[in-house]
Amino acid sequence: MSEFISKQNLLTWLGQLIGERNLVAPTRVDDLLLFRKIDRVEDIVFDFDNTTLSPKEWFFPSSETLFYVDRKDGQTELMPAAIEKETAIFGIRPCDAQGMTMNDYPFLEEPADDLYRQHRDITALIGLACITACPECFCTSMGGGPHDTANVDILLTEVTDGYIVQVLTDKGKALLPDNLLATADVSSPLAPVLSEIPSEGIAEKMRQAFDEPFWDRLADRCIHCNICSYVCPTCYCFDVRDYTDKERIERVRSWESCQSPGFTRIAGGHDPRSTKGSRLRQRFSHKLLYFPNQFGALGCIGCGRCVRACPVNIDIREIIQDVQQLGVKSEA
Amino acid sequence: MKPENPLLPYLSTLQELIDLTPDVKLFRLELNDPDIRESFDYKPGQFVFVSAFGVGESPFGITSVAHRKAGVDVAIRRVGTVTNALHQLEPGATVGVRGPFGNYFPLDEYKGKNIFIIGGGIGFAPLRPIITTILDYREDYGDLVIINGARSPQDLVFAPEFDTWAASPKTKLELTVDAGDEKWTGRVALIPSVVSELKLSPQNAIAVTCGPPIMIHFTLIELRKLGFADNQIITTLEGKMKCGLGKCARCNVGDKYVCKDGPVFSMEQISQLIEQF
Amino acid sequence: MDFSEEIRSKAKELLESGTVDCVIGYERATDGVGARPLFVYQPNDIDRLIFDQTCTHNLTKYLLNRKDKATAIVVKPCDSRAINLLINESQIQRDKVSIIGVVCPGVVKAGLDNTSGELQDTCRMCQQHTPVLYDFLVGELGLEPDVPDTYPDVTGMEDKSAGERRAFWEEQFSRCIRCYACRQVCPGCYCLECFVERLDPTWVGIRIAPGENEVWNTMRAFHLAGRCIDCNECERVCPVNIPLSLLNRKLGKEVEELFKFQAGIDAETPMPFSTFDKEEKLGISE
Repeated sequence: MSEFISKQNLLTWLGQLIGERNLVAPTRVDDLLLFRKIDRVEDIVFDFDNTTLSPKEWFFPSSETLFYVDRKDGQTELMPAAIEKETAIFGIRPCDAQGMTMNDYPFLEEPADDLYRQHRDITALIGLACITACPECFCTSMGGGPHDTANVDILLTEVTDGYIVQVLTDKGKALLPDNLLATADVSSPLAPVLSEIPSEGIAEKMRQAFDEPFWDRLADRCIHCNICSYVCPTCYCFDVRDYTDKERIERVRSWESCQSPGFTRIAGGHDPRSTKGSRLRQRFSHKLLYFPNQFGALGCIGCGRCVRACPVNIDIREIIQDVQQLGVKSEA
Repeated sequence: MKPENPLLPYLSTLQELIDLTPDVKLFRLELNDPDIRESFDYKPGQFVFVSAFGVGESPFGITSVAHRKAGVDVAIRRVGTVTNALHQLEPGATVGVRGPFGNYFPLDEYKGKNIFIIGGGIGFAPLRPIITTILDYREDYGDLVIINGARSPQDLVFAPEFDTWAASPKTKLELTVDAGDEKWTGRVALIPSVVSELKLSPQNAIAVTCGPPIMIHFTLIELRKLGFADNQIITTLEGKMKCGLGKCARCNVGDKYVCKDGPVFSMEQISQLIEQF
Repeated sequence: MDFSEEIRSKAKELLESGTVDCVIGYERATDGVGARPLFVYQPNDIDRLIFDQTCTHNLTKYLLNRKDKATAIVVKPCDSRAINLLINESQIQRDKVSIIGVVCPGVVKAGLDNTSGELQDTCRMCQQHTPVLYDFLVGELGLEPDVPDTYPDVTGMEDKSAGERRAFWEEQFSRCIRCYACRQVCPGCYCLECFVERLDPTWVGIRIAPGENEVWNTMRAFHLAGRCIDCNECERVCPVNIPLSLLNRKLGKEVEELFKFQAGIDAETPMPFSTFDKEEKLGISE
């Protein structure tokens, strides 16, 4: 027996959530699917693979004001930005939720990033288990799974006429409308089977392959845009700049990518990662070697967005396979 | 008492600006809030971010010592947009200070040893607090040799303190320039050749060096030739930084963040880094 | 259409004779359907080269990374115009590039394979099926465009009211995430320091918001006015589907009407916006 919510009751519940807090869910924007704040339940898309951009922008926005400084009458006052309204994200996939847990490692490590912590505290995750998988998905090779309950507050799994409801945290429990749930004798469908990527031992193989010309050759076709980092749920590099508008100064942080030329260039002109190969190697080393070294988990959660979005088909699955093979070659 | 949000600066007032060289000024800063000022503790090697509000923020090594309780000093070389804006401030101006960040020189481990301080240009800024500490606690340390070099005599940093340094017991001050001028009667030589000329002994010694990458590269060669082991050679790394907390993921050298795991590294630690710059 | 064998044969010849150190062409992507750029340095990689109607990328941007090295490159007609542009603007030297030009009937839509026959929208409007510049030609000459109206997309937009157009573009630019893929892929965007990177003064800054996005996209389009060779790469790479070609083609249409000029048709004709001709009238409304 499982907790169950009918499709109709789910719509009612989501309508209630719209009334009491920010509800963020996948919705169509032109021909893209993006997580946006929802005003009407009719705008929510339920049948989809995954969104073009990850939901990380609801915790780590593409641009965010850190604080304001007002200068009046010789006085300087500093006002930190604050987030207030409770939010629920509906329709987050288990891989993206795992991505948020990965982001917690750097952001919440002491001293914690205050704005990120506020976003995380006020947001509940209502996950949607994956019934099918995109061709590019490989979460099961990266420590996750299409029906994974580890990183969400509630997980819904679609069955006939409704969804199995699994409540996983107190935050999830507080969100639930008891009178809309039922129990039903349904079992969860089998999780889709994904292609396997040989991620076992990849950190050590990445270490061994560090000085290989492989990275320069791969970087030949990289155009060093920011697409991979921006669509990725676990990329978190940011830039910080001040803006002045009359007497008010605003310090803003925005997404950035280690792929951009000039990412490591310091005043005076010196740039330790001036070559394309060193920058490309940095991104994959961060995901597959440094992040596991620092935090004990792989930085990539296998959502496949970068694979779909890269204009020149730099494919992390292929890279993992090639790096594993490089190790074999050098032993031989 | 840190603010809850480590990305928020402490409002601070610029007390004094002292010209050290044509492009380097010493900034004396005082944190405005008395509680924060009282509890703001730091060690040699650590750094702060100084904000010119509306222009931006950059990291600078702290060049004063906390135990003297005389505010926070940074030596800033004018080289880009933020440093240019800072150089144009007047005493009394409000700036932001975030920190202290980073690790520090383990001076307790250097007690009883001979210390060789080898610095070039603005690279001398993070080395000065080591000298100040040794001078304030002179009996705790062995011989002190200071090699301070620059492109030209007017580019030597911390000139107002040279007499104090030279006058300290068991202390030798060796100044050197790449090119002299009409008034210069001192040594004209590159820093690495001074290291080799002085035949610094690695016996019970620590060498701390900081400066332009090429200077460090050749100084390292000379120190190794003299028999210094990699764990006896200490330096600081730099990198482009935005947060100082290891969160913006920019200043890493391999899996180490210069802002968190550094900026102080021994050559032994540096040689083990997977990424070599 | 599949010219893989011809491309491989020419590439082999150029590599083995030492005429070039590298051949920039295409290979099959990991989805088994599309294509991706390939850099061939060794003869034993020649067989990876393909050429068919999935080969959408404009490879000419990569020539700017190899300015002093002898390179062979596979180009479609639109791509070949970029080479003329780069020569005209003194960015590459003609004698360093061996150009393998391909007569192109059009590229298929993303995600479709070579046999689908469904061309990209931009290819349906194409006026140039033969490369304008080449050392070696692959394919038969004589393929003529059968599209009478050269800018149907632009005139369609021009017919809308100012209010409709403003609303349209506000919506489009609000989605921009400033990944700069459009700039990075564009052979015409090669400034060592892009205006968005300037701090002193800050033209755009790092904030990702509708106002800044509008400035970024429109200013880039203006920097390409009279220079865009209409390869559609910017629009193809955009992860949030902003119709960037429409902007660039609008300005291209204006330049064609005002100056009777199209970028990249040859490498000698002075470019309208980098030429000062005292004879030109400076009237605003003529």
